[in-house]
Amino acid sequence: MRINRFIALFFSAIFLFPPIIQKEAWGDDRDDLKKEMQQLRQQMESMQKKLEELEEKNRMVEEEAKKQKEEREVEKGITEAAPAPSREGYLQRVIQSLNPDISVIGIFTAAYFSENDPIIHAENDPENTGINLQEIEVAFQGVVDPYFRFDSFFSIGRDSFETEEAFATTLLSLPLNSQVRIGLMRAKFGRINLQHRHSQDFVTLALPAADFLGEHLNPVGIEFNFLAPLPWFMELTASVNSANGLETPTFAPDEDANNLGGLLYIFHLANFFEITEALSLSLGGSFATGSNGTEPGNRSNLYGVDLFAKYRPLRNNPYQEVWLQSEFMYRQAETEEENLDDWGAYGQLVYRFAKRWNAGFRFDFVDTDTPVTPMEEEELEGASLLRVMRSEEGEEEESVLGLLGKELRYAVMLTFNPTEFSRIRLQYEFDDPDFADSFHAVYLQFQYSLGAHGAHPF
Amino acid sequence: MKMRKIFKFVITPKLHNKPVRPEKSAISRTIKAILNCFWISLLVTAIFLSTYASESLAKVRVVSSVPNFASIAEEIGGDKVEVKSIAKGYEDPHFVSPKPSYILLLNKADLVLYNGLDLEIGWLPPLITGARNSKILTGALGNLDCSTLIPTILEVPTTKIDRSMGDIHPGGNPHYMLDPRNGIPVAKGIADRLKEIDPENASYYDERLRDFVGHLNVKIKEWDHKLAPYKGAEIVTYHKGWVYFSNWADFKEVGYIEPKPGIPPSPSYVAELIRRIQQMNVKLVIAESYYPQKTPALIAEKAGASFLTLPASVGGRDGINTYYDLFDVIVGDIKSKLANTKEAVKSSNLAGG
Repeated sequence: MRINRFIALFFSAIFLFPPIIQKEAWGDDRDDLKKEMQQLRQQMESMQKKLEELEEKNRMVEEEAKKQKEEREVEKGITEAAPAPSREGYLQRVIQSLNPDISVIGIFTAAYFSENDPIIHAENDPENTGINLQEIEVAFQGVVDPYFRFDSFFSIGRDSFETEEAFATTLLSLPLNSQVRIGLMRAKFGRINLQHRHSQDFVTLALPAADFLGEHLNPVGIEFNFLAPLPWFMELTASVNSANGLETPTFAPDEDANNLGGLLYIFHLANFFEITEALSLSLGGSFATGSNGTEPGNRSNLYGVDLFAKYRPLRNNPYQEVWLQSEFMYRQAETEEENLDDWGAYGQLVYRFAKRWNAGFRFDFVDTDTPVTPMEEEELEGASLLRVMRSEEGEEEESVLGLLGKELRYAVMLTFNPTEFSRIRLQYEFDDPDFADSFHAVYLQFQYSLGAHGAHPF
Repeated sequence: MKMRKIFKFVITPKLHNKPVRPEKSAISRTIKAILNCFWISLLVTAIFLSTYASESLAKVRVVSSVPNFASIAEEIGGDKVEVKSIAKGYEDPHFVSPKPSYILLLNKADLVLYNGLDLEIGWLPPLITGARNSKILTGALGNLDCSTLIPTILEVPTTKIDRSMGDIHPGGNPHYMLDPRNGIPVAKGIADRLKEIDPENASYYDERLRDFVGHLNVKIKEWDHKLAPYKGAEIVTYHKGWVYFSNWADFKEVGYIEPKPGIPPSPSYVAELIRRIQQMNVKLVIAESYYPQKTPALIAEKAGASFLTLPASVGGRDGINTYYDLFDVIVGDIKSKLANTKEAVKSSNLAGG
C-alpha cells in the first residue's frame, strides 16, 4: 500500500511538475516580449519625436528661405528704385531755362450804356457803348536767386503802357516769420486792391475802390509783413511808400519833399479762420495815411474793414461754392477849404453752381458829407471823372479830391469759364447817382490768358 | 490820340464866407497817434511772444500736398514724424483752395512732399512762397517732388503741345500713385530724405522702410492674383487718371468721358462715345467720386458695362487710411463688380440656353 501511495505521489508530482515548470518558462518569455515591446514603443516614440523635429526644422528652413527671398526682393526693390532716368520729352529740351514765366491776359468788353457820356469810375472800366479794350496784362515772374523772387505786371492799353506791379519778395526765413516786399506793388489795403482785373468777379470795379483807391493803389515802397505766432492765420503788414504817380487823388506827393511824415504809410491786419472744413472766414482792417498834395502838410487818412467768407462743401458737391466779399472804406482828406469826409462800401455775393459757371450780385455805394461841385465854366452834362488826369501834353496835373455826391449801384452777373484760361461774363448794372441821371449798362466781357499757369490766391 | 478831358472842381464855399483855414484837426492827429501806438504795441507783443515760443521739435514735421504721400510718410516715419496733408482724399487734387491756414502748416514744416508734374501748380506755389520758410523752397532739403523718384512716367508728350489739347501736363501723366509698384521708389525716396533731415534716426527709418516694402510686395502679389482673371478687360474712365493702374493691371483703356483732359463732355460727344463702345466689350466705367456721376452711369448702362465710383487717393472714402487700404478697396470693388457680371452672364446664359 505504501508503494502505491508512493507511486501515486510520484506520478502526480511528475504530472504537476511540468506545468509549474512551464508556467515559469512562459512568464519569462512574456516578460521578455513585454520588455521588447516597451523598447520598441520607446524607439517609435523617439523616432516620432525626431521626425517632428525634422519637420520643424524643415519648416523653419523654408520660412527662412522665404524670408530671405522677400528680403532680396525688398533689396532689389529698394536699390532698383533709382530716380527717373533722363526723360526724353519734347518739352524737356525746351523747358529747362532760367527765363521768367511769361503770361499775357487780354480783357475785352462789349458795353451798352443807356446814357451818353456815362459816369466812369475806374480807369479800366468800359467807357463807351461799343467794344472796349479793358486791359492787356503782361507778366514776367521768376526767382532771382536764393534770396529773392521778382514779379512784374504791366497793364497795356491801345497806346498806354503802365507798370501795374514790379516788386521783389524775400525768400529767406527771416525772424518773426516776416517777409519783405520791395518795389512798385498793389498795396495790401483791404482785399479788392490786391485782385488783378482778371481775377475780379465783376466787369466794373466796386465804387469805393474806384473812388478812393483808383484803378489800383500801387505806390512804390517797402513792405514788411509778419505772421503772428497765433494758432490762426494773422498777418500784420506795414509799409512805407511814396505817392508819386498814383492814379488816385487820395494820395499825392507833398511839395515839401524832405518830409518823412508826408510819405504814404499803409497798415493792414488780416485774420483767417477756418471755421469748419467747408466754411472759411477772413476779416481784416486797414489804415493808410499820407499827404494828399493839396497843400504842404495836408494829409488823407483812409480806413478800411474787409470781410471774405467762403462756403465750399467739398464732400457732396466738389465744384459748388459760395463766397461773399465785402469792404467798407472811410476817407478823411484835409484840404485848404475844409476836411473832406467820404465813405463807401460794397458787398458782392457769388454762387458757383457748376464747375464752369457762376452767378453773382453786387451792391456798392459811396456817400459824402462834403460834396464837391463842378465849376461853372466847364459845362458838364452829368458826366464826371473822379480821378487824376494826366494829359498827353504834359500840362499840370490837377489834384481832384472829393465826391460829387451819393451814388448807389446794383449789378448782377453770370460768368462762364470754358476752361480756367478763358472767360465770358454777362453783367447788367444800374447806376443811381444823386447828382446826375441814373443809367443802365450791359456788359459782355471776354478774357483770355496765355502762358504760365498763374496760381490764384485764396 | 485819345482825347482826355481835364476837370477842375472847387469845394462850395461856406456861407459865412471867410475861408477859415482849418487847424490841423486834433482829432486826426489823435487818431493817428492811437493807431501808431496800437501797431507798435502789436509789434512788441509779436516779438515778445515769438522769443518765448519754444521751437524744440522732437518730431520731424512733414506736410504733404495730397494724402497718398502723407500715408507713406507715416509708415516710414512712425513715431518720429508728425504728418499732415493739405488736400483731402475726396477732393480733386487739381483744384484745392489755397487757404491761408495752410500757410501756417507750411511755415512750421521741415519737409513738404508733393506729387509734381504740375498736379498742384494751381494752388501750391503761392502757399510755399507765402510760408516764409526757406527750408521748403524748391531745391532745399525740405522740398521733395515725388515725381522725381518714379522710374517711368507715362504719356510724356514727344511733340509740341499747347492747351488746345486740354489741360495737358507737359511733364507727363501725374497720377502715378495709382500703380502700387510705384509705392516702393516713393517710400525709398521719402526715407532717404528723412534720413538726411534727421540722421540720428536713420536706422529706424531704414527698418520701417524694409517693413513697408516687404509688406507691400506681399500685398502686390495678392492684388495681382485677384486681378489676374480680368487681364485685358476693356474699360472707360472719366478722366485720364487711371493710366498707371491700367498699365499694372493690364486693363485696356478704350475711351475717356472727357473729350480732352479738363473739358466736360457735351451731349453729342457722350452719344458718340456710347455708340463707339457699344461695339466693344467694355466691362467697366470708372469715375472718381469728385466727377459728375450721372453721365458715366448713363454711359455704363447704355454700353452694358458696370459703373464704378472708385477712390483715387488715401482718404478717398471712409476707412481708407493707408496705401494698402486704397488698393484693397479698388481691387476689391473691381473684382466683386466683374465677378458679379461674369456670374450674371453665366446665369443668363444658362437661363436662356
